[in-house]
Amino acid sequence: MSHPNPYDVQKAEILNVIEESPQIKTFQLKLEKPLEFETGQFVELSVPGVGEAPFTPSSSHYQKEEIEVSIMKTGFVTEKIHEAQKGDIFGIRGPYGKGYPLDKFKDRDILLLGGGVGLAPLRCLLQTLIHDIDDYKSITVCFGAKTPQDMIYKDQVDDWKSYDKIHHLCTVDKCKPEDNWQGCTGVVTVLLDDIEIDPKDAVAIVCGPPIMMKFGSFSLLDKGFKEENIYLSMEKKMYCGFGECRHCVMGGYYACKDGPVFSYDKIKDVEKIWE
Amino acid sequence: MGKFQKNSLRMDKAALVKFFKEVQDQFDIFLPYEIDKDDPDNLKLKKFQGDDNFILNKYRTIDPLKSLFYLSSESVLPPTAKEDKRIIAGVKNCDLLSLGVHDAALLEDNFVDPNFEKWRKNTYIISSDCDAALSTCHCNILGHKPYPNTSGEDKARFDLNLSLVDDNYLITVGSQKGQELLDLMKQVSEVDEPDNYLLNELERQHEEIDKKLEQINEEFSPDRDVGVVSKVKDDEVWEELCEECVQCGGCTNICPSCYCIIVNDESIDDNFKRIRTWDSCQLSGYARVAGGESPRDRLWERFRNRYQCKFDFIKQNFSQYGCKGCGRCISVCPAEIDLREVIKALQEV
Repeated sequence: MSHPNPYDVQKAEILNVIEESPQIKTFQLKLEKPLEFETGQFVELSVPGVGEAPFTPSSSHYQKEEIEVSIMKTGFVTEKIHEAQKGDIFGIRGPYGKGYPLDKFKDRDILLLGGGVGLAPLRCLLQTLIHDIDDYKSITVCFGAKTPQDMIYKDQVDDWKSYDKIHHLCTVDKCKPEDNWQGCTGVVTVLLDDIEIDPKDAVAIVCGPPIMMKFGSFSLLDKGFKEENIYLSMEKKMYCGFGECRHCVMGGYYACKDGPVFSYDKIKDVEKIWE
Repeated sequence: MGKFQKNSLRMDKAALVKFFKEVQDQFDIFLPYEIDKDDPDNLKLKKFQGDDNFILNKYRTIDPLKSLFYLSSESVLPPTAKEDKRIIAGVKNCDLLSLGVHDAALLEDNFVDPNFEKWRKNTYIISSDCDAALSTCHCNILGHKPYPNTSGEDKARFDLNLSLVDDNYLITVGSQKGQELLDLMKQVSEVDEPDNYLLNELERQHEEIDKKLEQINEEFSPDRDVGVVSKVKDDEVWEELCEECVQCGGCTNICPSCYCIIVNDESIDDNFKRIRTWDSCQLSGYARVAGGESPRDRLWERFRNRYQCKFDFIKQNFSQYGCKGCGRCISVCPAEIDLREVIKALQEV
């Protein structure tokens, strides 16, 4: 009996490309067969003949045949991905890893703390939460970016704000007067001063650049969030996505299989998790 | 493996050569041959050459067994492992035990590597006992024997084991595939039962090689705590230990249980292949993400990672150590770094 090849991909046709920021594009993809994923899990997306890289979908996990993936241009593969046009075909395989434990979020105040391209997995989570919004007490969204131009998903903010249970806060590190920026300025953790939820029983989900994850987690702990209620989406070097290449090993954990979502208490003692 | 009798049959080398000759059309046969008379670490796996110059006994080959099961570079999309049946003979226990790490990681976990599965399925492993040791051999200090076991926690993954005593091979069947080979052997060669002298002699040989390994490694206690690799976090200690390391990655490439890979695409005209290639955690770019961050930017961190992986992480993942004591990393190291010495130094911190 031979087993399925874990490296096999299905075709994903690009339906549309949205320029979110100078560095980030969102690709709307039509898949050959539904991707049975849960929010927080990731996929390997490939440009045939160029290579593949791991990404988390940025659309709700209730959308399984047409998904969106927001990708920042940072290296060789993502540069080629950014060159792709409507109608081009990517390869996709997955999903991999463990997603957000939604059952633990039920009836609780939820805080999403994100920065830069880290907003991508959080938008997947947010849209999934919105689908079942009656199940949750409240959702506070704290999004940050370097400049107003780097802030992605700006066009969806009004939609999110239309829900009574959603509180949306945003900040940029710096802006110019001509940007006409309406939100806060300062690093994303400044938004935590304005949240209106009781941290003792709330859950927080953090995703962003390593430095932001680090100080974001520390600020949440200072605020009174419990270690086991802070969830981090870890970014590590990864090739296979399922435990073969070992590049993502952090202590005894694999970021790909045991993560990418970890609760803070589980990995706080792993050396160099923030790098 | 209760149903198979240990060392219950015997054949001589001429009969074994006859068997290999008879079946070389059905199987690709790989055997250890001596390649350099001056260096004792001189056995290399080569295709059967039709003569009796191969050496099944002595000690491990230079090349790790993984080079025939998990190739240094092979296509995974499409998978390119061949259907042809193979016999690899003269495999030593350190390599068999390392294959156990790969079985756990590449077959028995949450996925199956398509090439490894096929190579494994189509290969018949004939192992043999060590009756000599190199100065780098140290399976004993990891609790292993230099000859395969047929049972217990340390059960080796051979199909057939041949123990050389004088000019006789004592045969142990380890699996159904081994039984198939034995049936073939019986068809073409003379196989009979060993006398008590040979059985006693084998036991004496085992005691002798056990003692030899103890002597080679007498400075290194077998009940030592390898957990020190994660406990010692002092930068200076590790910096000193890796002072001579030239970051060649030879230790991980030659390690029979290391299996880290990179995956990349190779294009030829309109076609492409997805290739997996051995990688080394000793190289500076190994863990660096696209954004530029690396959890192990400094040499001592990467050096330490290899020890932690072998003696801590692999243990957490697969309930066994990632080092079986073959000593190849010591032999290959241009800086003459000795894994045993490193662990000893850590224990003395």
